[in-house]
Amino acid sequence: MSETSTFEPKIVAYVCNWCTYLGADLAGTTRLEYPPNVRIVRLPCTGRIDFNLIVKAFEIGADAVLVSGCHPGDCHYTAGNYHARRRWILFRELLDTLGFDLRRIHFTWISAAEGRKWQQVVTNITEETRALGPYTDLYAAGTFKDVPSPVNNRNGLRSFAAQNDLREHCRKLLAENAVKVVIGYGVSGPIVVTKPEDADRLVWNNHCYANLTAYLKRKEIKALGKPAIVVKPCDEKSLVVLEKESQLERQDIYAVGMACEGVGEPKCATCQARTPRFADVSLGQPAGPEPPPSPSPNRFATLMAMPPAQRMAFWTSEFERCVKCYACRQVCPMCYCERCIVDRNRPIEIDPAPSTKGNFAWQIARAFHLAGRCIGCGECSRACPAGIDLALLNVSLHIAAQKNFVFEAGIDPKADEVIGSYALQDKEDFIR
Amino acid sequence: MDNVYTPDLMEVTAVRRQTPDVKAVSLRFLDPERARKFSFRVGQFGIFSAFGYGESTFNICSSSNWNDHIEFCFRKVGRVTEALWKIEEKDVIGFRGPYGNGYPVEAWKGHDLIFLGGGIAMPPIRCAVWYALENRADYGDIHVVYGARTVADLVFVDELDEWAKRDRVRVIRCVDPGGETADWKGEIDFVPYVFERALIKSKDPVVLVIGPPIMIKNTLPILDKMGVKPSSVYTSIENRMKCGIGKCGRCNVGSLYVCKEGPVLTMEQLRGLPADY
Amino acid sequence: MSESISQAGLRTLAAEWLAAGKTVAGPVRIKPGLVQYRALRSGDDLLFEGVQRPSNSIKEFLFPKAEKLYGYRVQGNSIELIESDTQERVETILIAARPCDAAALPILDHVFNWDFKDEMYNRRRAATTVVTLACSTHDESCFCTSVGLGPASERGSDAMLFDLGGGRCEVRCLTDKGRALFSGKTEKSDQIGNVPPGPEKKFDSKKIRTFVTDHFEDPFWQEHSLTCMGCGTCAFTCPTCHCFDILDAGPAAGNARVRSWDSCQFATFTVHASGHNPRSAQHARQRQRILHKFAIYPEKFGDILCTGCGNCTRNCPIGLGVLSVAIEIDHG
Repeated sequence: MSETSTFEPKIVAYVCNWCTYLGADLAGTTRLEYPPNVRIVRLPCTGRIDFNLIVKAFEIGADAVLVSGCHPGDCHYTAGNYHARRRWILFRELLDTLGFDLRRIHFTWISAAEGRKWQQVVTNITEETRALGPYTDLYAAGTFKDVPSPVNNRNGLRSFAAQNDLREHCRKLLAENAVKVVIGYGVSGPIVVTKPEDADRLVWNNHCYANLTAYLKRKEIKALGKPAIVVKPCDEKSLVVLEKESQLERQDIYAVGMACEGVGEPKCATCQARTPRFADVSLGQPAGPEPPPSPSPNRFATLMAMPPAQRMAFWTSEFERCVKCYACRQVCPMCYCERCIVDRNRPIEIDPAPSTKGNFAWQIARAFHLAGRCIGCGECSRACPAGIDLALLNVSLHIAAQKNFVFEAGIDPKADEVIGSYALQDKEDFIR
Repeated sequence: MDNVYTPDLMEVTAVRRQTPDVKAVSLRFLDPERARKFSFRVGQFGIFSAFGYGESTFNICSSSNWNDHIEFCFRKVGRVTEALWKIEEKDVIGFRGPYGNGYPVEAWKGHDLIFLGGGIAMPPIRCAVWYALENRADYGDIHVVYGARTVADLVFVDELDEWAKRDRVRVIRCVDPGGETADWKGEIDFVPYVFERALIKSKDPVVLVIGPPIMIKNTLPILDKMGVKPSSVYTSIENRMKCGIGKCGRCNVGSLYVCKEGPVLTMEQLRGLPADY
Repeated sequence: MSESISQAGLRTLAAEWLAAGKTVAGPVRIKPGLVQYRALRSGDDLLFEGVQRPSNSIKEFLFPKAEKLYGYRVQGNSIELIESDTQERVETILIAARPCDAAALPILDHVFNWDFKDEMYNRRRAATTVVTLACSTHDESCFCTSVGLGPASERGSDAMLFDLGGGRCEVRCLTDKGRALFSGKTEKSDQIGNVPPGPEKKFDSKKIRTFVTDHFEDPFWQEHSLTCMGCGTCAFTCPTCHCFDILDAGPAAGNARVRSWDSCQFATFTVHASGHNPRSAQHARQRQRILHKFAIYPEKFGDILCTGCGNCTRNCPIGLGVLSVAIEIDHG
């Protein structure tokens, strides 16, 4: 950078109305000077700050973003900032995974009395950002180290032993009117069976990929009446999450759990759950004892070993293929919003076009909306017609939830969900 | 490059509020050459845009005989119409058109014309009425039965008064039961039944009926009883549109593209369409 | 006697075209298990074997997934429209397209020129030369022969390549564009390329047309569509699907009106501002897709809006696609 560089960083500050905004105001009324590079956006509470706002600030040209609110315990709305802090912990991890320059994203607590702190924070951030230079890496293409692709093992078709048990059990369920419909697997994909004599169309083999719990959100399925649903032990975890989120009453569905010998998907290599735990019935025997975690190439570690700019180049190249078909959303059991955020147009929060910006915005929104909810069924990755490594994106938040909150979705029905709850001792080491 | 998607820039010359959520807007072409060359068939529609917000489809509710401006009428319901709500005189918006098939006014010559409309369906009727009045000798008696949910929801009320003064024109206004005000002098009932009671005597009329599906459904048996052939009953249907020129694949009802082979249809045509609208 | 060229020769040609500033696109292995048509960075990127067909289609080179129709700048009452820079169309050469991709182009020509001429599409079309690789294999999702095409169908191709074995292909130039590409670049050969006949006919397309028009309300549609998840995968990987959306992108102060791919399977595809949705159930949307492809398009333009490439079935996360509907209608 030349000495006569005229770069003036553009900094967007999202601040809460009751503390930081007043603190900034105090700085003004007490004539404390600070750089004019900050554009202040006032919100009622840090709890209102959607992660999307942080991304948008960068999209429209910010070189740094500051998010600031009341100190823990002082929130005007009691707990808004606790919720915000919880979200920030996870969102930072997601942004880090995507290769955003975390040195440009700042969180602080500044109270209404801390005019001087506002002055110091803004001055420091301006100088730090000036030294970093303009944010030109955002969504930039570039070289990156190859991340090994997930490996699947799609061998020839092999039926599992419990197939006949499954057919007989479902035939009985339908004949006795215990359920009105069975959602299961057929020869070329999921099928819906309503007549007992059609139970023979059900199969149970190593091509039973789909997570059928995704059908529980479909209104056409709901209209058929009480369903029996065939679940692999991995898919079964969706039921835990859906029940926790009040999307189903457990007694309103009948889960036919299948002990699984693996369907050759990447997730099967490290599968820890070969037998169902919550199903109404468990059919079949697992192939053997639960396998120890095998040392598969740690793709996430490979990704995170790259410098942020390379990580971002990796994701830019992945998302460049996205066509916004939303297969990832449709096959996900946890994407059940009646009107998805991308379909809303007042305002348009996520750019709907399959442009670079639009694709990043969508992928970030989807990944973050699944924080602490994704059970790792891998359907999104399998469904993507452009082979985007969605599993890698989801796993980053899965790891973040485990690391920060000792939480894994779909395991313990009694555990508090990650987003939507908070703990007084949630970490703060990244907050000034 | 001749880009069929590029709109004309239009200057707003007047905005008239019709109801708490309906406005009528008059536009003129900014490009005088375009203004000179422009013409349309009454009943066609246009795609109007609020730049930055999007495009929306509305009937061109002015008569095709008026060649210094065009008009459209809209209800504030969504993103684009909320943006259009804010426009004032001298503002500039976009217009693409004219699209669609328009009314077969040649085929209507020599007939009595009966116009039945409900609520926000008046604008596409209004242009036809003015057209007929301006070509008065070509058409027989003109009857208009127009109703809305409440008195406040009636649009182009001053023009209804104007029409009623004209030669061989009969205008009947109505509101839904419960929608009347204390000084309401018109009918109080739904349009089909007001129409039935009007006992219009006409040998071989052309009927244009536009309104919500339930209104059309209840009007058809009455027309049947009157002896009106389905091929003489017209309506203007609507569907979600984007391109307006038959390419985006969205507005079809069966194999009929509303933007190309509609929006004006006869009842005979409508009955032949699959239940996909 | 035929004209032939080696694969290495084709790669060299591709490199020359790239060096001359043209866009060259063909099947590229993106990662294990993923082959897509994509603009080449070098002749080495081209993939000739190891995959039935790429998982996307060549339509994106003529009808991009997102395209700026025009820009606009708003300043007070003044609006400036900025024409999109589609005046100069970069010459594009598609290599080793499949016959089911090439045939889609003359089919799409109809709708993009229906009364109103879509110049963005037409200019790209005029600037694109399609070199097709005839198919010597097929998989269970292929059904080109059921819609009037085949593994060596010439429709839409400017030149065709036939595998001769040993890394060589016969080159048959079909149009002036094809001849302009290959003249002087091929060698004489005494081998004539041919390919096996392709998949046996799996259904009668006329029966599909009759069924969807005459049995519009049949409960078959509900039953068959129950497992459809309503994503856009089939439409977006299809060589002939062309539905699109038009949206204003960017800040209100100015940016662009953009058109992007849309799918009739999305729940909000036909929803009115009033909230009314003519196709609020998935079966109505699935039925519309079949109606459009097998009844409406043939009625209006004389062509089925489908080339039997099988992408819809291969890519569908739950194994539906046109083929499964058609077989059930014809044989179920």
